[in-house]
Amino acid sequence: MSASSLSAPSFRAIASSSRRALSARHAFPSTVPRLAKLPTSSGTRDKSAVGVFTPKAAALFAVTGAALFFYFRSEKDKLQEQRRKEKEDQVVGRPQVGGPFTLTDHKGKTFTEKDLLGKWSLIYFGFTNCPDICPEELDKMSAAVEKLDKEYGPIVQPVFISVDPARDSVPQVARYVSEFHPRLVGLTGDYATLKATCKAFRVYFSTPPDAKASDDYLVDHSIFFYFMDPNGQFVDAFGKVSTEEDVVERVKKEIARWEGETGRKV
Amino acid sequence: MGWFGTKRSEAPDATSRQDRQKCWESRDAYFTCLDAAKVVKPGDEGTTCADTKGPYERNCAKSWIDYFNKRRVLAEQQQGVLAQAQNQANAARNR
Repeated sequence: MSASSLSAPSFRAIASSSRRALSARHAFPSTVPRLAKLPTSSGTRDKSAVGVFTPKAAALFAVTGAALFFYFRSEKDKLQEQRRKEKEDQVVGRPQVGGPFTLTDHKGKTFTEKDLLGKWSLIYFGFTNCPDICPEELDKMSAAVEKLDKEYGPIVQPVFISVDPARDSVPQVARYVSEFHPRLVGLTGDYATLKATCKAFRVYFSTPPDAKASDDYLVDHSIFFYFMDPNGQFVDAFGKVSTEEDVVERVKKEIARWEGETGRKV
Repeated sequence: MGWFGTKRSEAPDATSRQDRQKCWESRDAYFTCLDAAKVVKPGDEGTTCADTKGPYERNCAKSWIDYFNKRRVLAEQQQGVLAQAQNQANAARNR
């Protein structure tokens, strides 16, 4: 009850103020004739503006406009092209590929991720009983490394890591790698260490844990080979579609970039 | 050592480049014969390619033969799919 009695006077106050506003507007008409004189003065100004706007000026305006349009368009194209080039081999965040591992090389010595530091490396995961893809990829890798050796010396290390612990013993791997690049290192280990290494490198393989050395089976596995920098960081991966030239070009590009940043090739 | 010797004579050594090459060559010979006979699936040719099938089975491990035979059949089906995938890969690379 008390609320409505309070609100009533305030409503009246608003109403009276709006009425006052209306009467104030009624007072304006006396000023209107004075305002009506303005169009003539602004009209003379328009006339002088139009006087400057000659056909010559119009042509100049059009030509300048067109020139600016084409200039900015070509600048934009250039910028987009530059961005595309940068994007081409830019690594968007470094993928977490690689990590610590302890395996045995084909000479029977312990080999860890630290043995890869200070050199570029190409790492392929495969198995010695691989019908055709592994030898093809390893041949491609070996040929690429050979070309890079000629250019830079032995700064790119080729590595083969087995995904077939049951059959790929050290002597088996040693026989296998001997027919590829002379510096190719062949690594193997037991099931658990190889599985862990493959996991670190995001490599999938399907060897059954209970496979015997005498079994005749194939291993389904990822067939990328990895390109790692001298700090052991992942740079790129090459698949079956990459040619030997692609690999060489990519490695060269990265070495050039590395040299630009650090002043060294490794 | 004698044990390795006998094993070697009966089964091809996958670690040997020469043995791999021999296997691939006898496979290619057999598949060429199948192509001539217009047979896609190995084994469907009857006795037509017997003289190339023998060396193929001697020079390649059983698992390799299964793999090559399966792949031959799949390759036929994949022709179209691969071409399409290649186009898409190119388009993605140019973007």
